[in-house]
Amino acid sequence: MTPARHGGDPGKRGPGLSRERTSLARERTSLAWMRTAISFAALGGAVLKVNVVTGLIILGIAPLIWQLGRISSRRPPADGMPADGMPADGMPVVGATRIRLITVSVVGVSLLCLLIALFGRGVPTALR
Amino acid sequence: MSWSGRLAALWPRAPAEDEEGTEPDPRFTFANERTFLAWSRTALALVVAGLGIVQLLPPFPGVPVGRHLLGVPLIVLGAVLAVAAYSEWIRNQRALRRGEPLPRSVMPWVLAATITMMAVISAIVVLLSAAR
Repeated sequence: MTPARHGGDPGKRGPGLSRERTSLARERTSLAWMRTAISFAALGGAVLKVNVVTGLIILGIAPLIWQLGRISSRRPPADGMPADGMPADGMPVVGATRIRLITVSVVGVSLLCLLIALFGRGVPTALR
Repeated sequence: MSWSGRLAALWPRAPAEDEEGTEPDPRFTFANERTFLAWSRTALALVVAGLGIVQLLPPFPGVPVGRHLLGVPLIVLGAVLAVAAYSEWIRNQRALRRGEPLPRSVMPWVLAATITMMAVISAIVVLLSAAR
C-alpha cells in the first residue's frame, strides 16, 4: 500500500495544512464541475442554432451538472454532525452516481448530435 | 432478476461498493474526478466540432459526403471517450483504494491517433474539393 495516497500520511505534516490542501483540491474540483456545466451550456447554445428542441434539452442539462458539482464543494457543518451523504470528516462519499450521470449525459448528447448530423438539415449560412 | 437489476449489472462496480482497500487521500479522489471531468469536456468538444462540421460548414464541392466523413467520426469518438473516461475513473479509483500503481491509460494515444487520422482525411477532402 502506498501511504502517500491514503488519508494518514498528509496528517503527519500537520492537520491544518492537510485540511487547507484538501480544501484547495475541493475548490479546484468544484471549478472543474463548473467548467463542465459551461461546456454543456456552450454546446446547447451551438445546437440551438441547428435544432431548437435538442439545444434546449442540452441547455437544461447544464444547471443539473452545476448542481451536481456543488456536492463536491459542500463543507462539513460547524457542529461536526455529518450532513446527508457526507461522513464526519467532511468529505462527500465518492460520487459514483454523479460520475455515471455525467457519462450518461455526454453519451446521450452525442447520440442526439449524431442523429442531427445524419438526419438534420444543414445550415451552412449560420456561420455568415 | 428485474430489468433494472439486469441494467445495473451491466455497469462496472463502483469503487465505493468495492469492499477491498481503504478510502484514499481525498486529494487523490478529487484529482481523479477532475481528470474524468476533463475527459468529459474533451468528449463534448469533439461532439460540438463534429456537429459544427456537418451542420455549419458549406458542402465541399465535388465531395458530397465530405462533411459527414469528417464530422460523424468525431461525434462517435466523443461518445466512446465519455464511456472510456468512466471506465478509467473506476480503474483509477480502485487502484487508489488498494494502494496499487495506477493503470496505464490508452486514451491519450487513442485521441492523438484519431486527431491525426482526421487531419489527414481533412487534408485529402480539401485537396479533392480544390481539384474539382
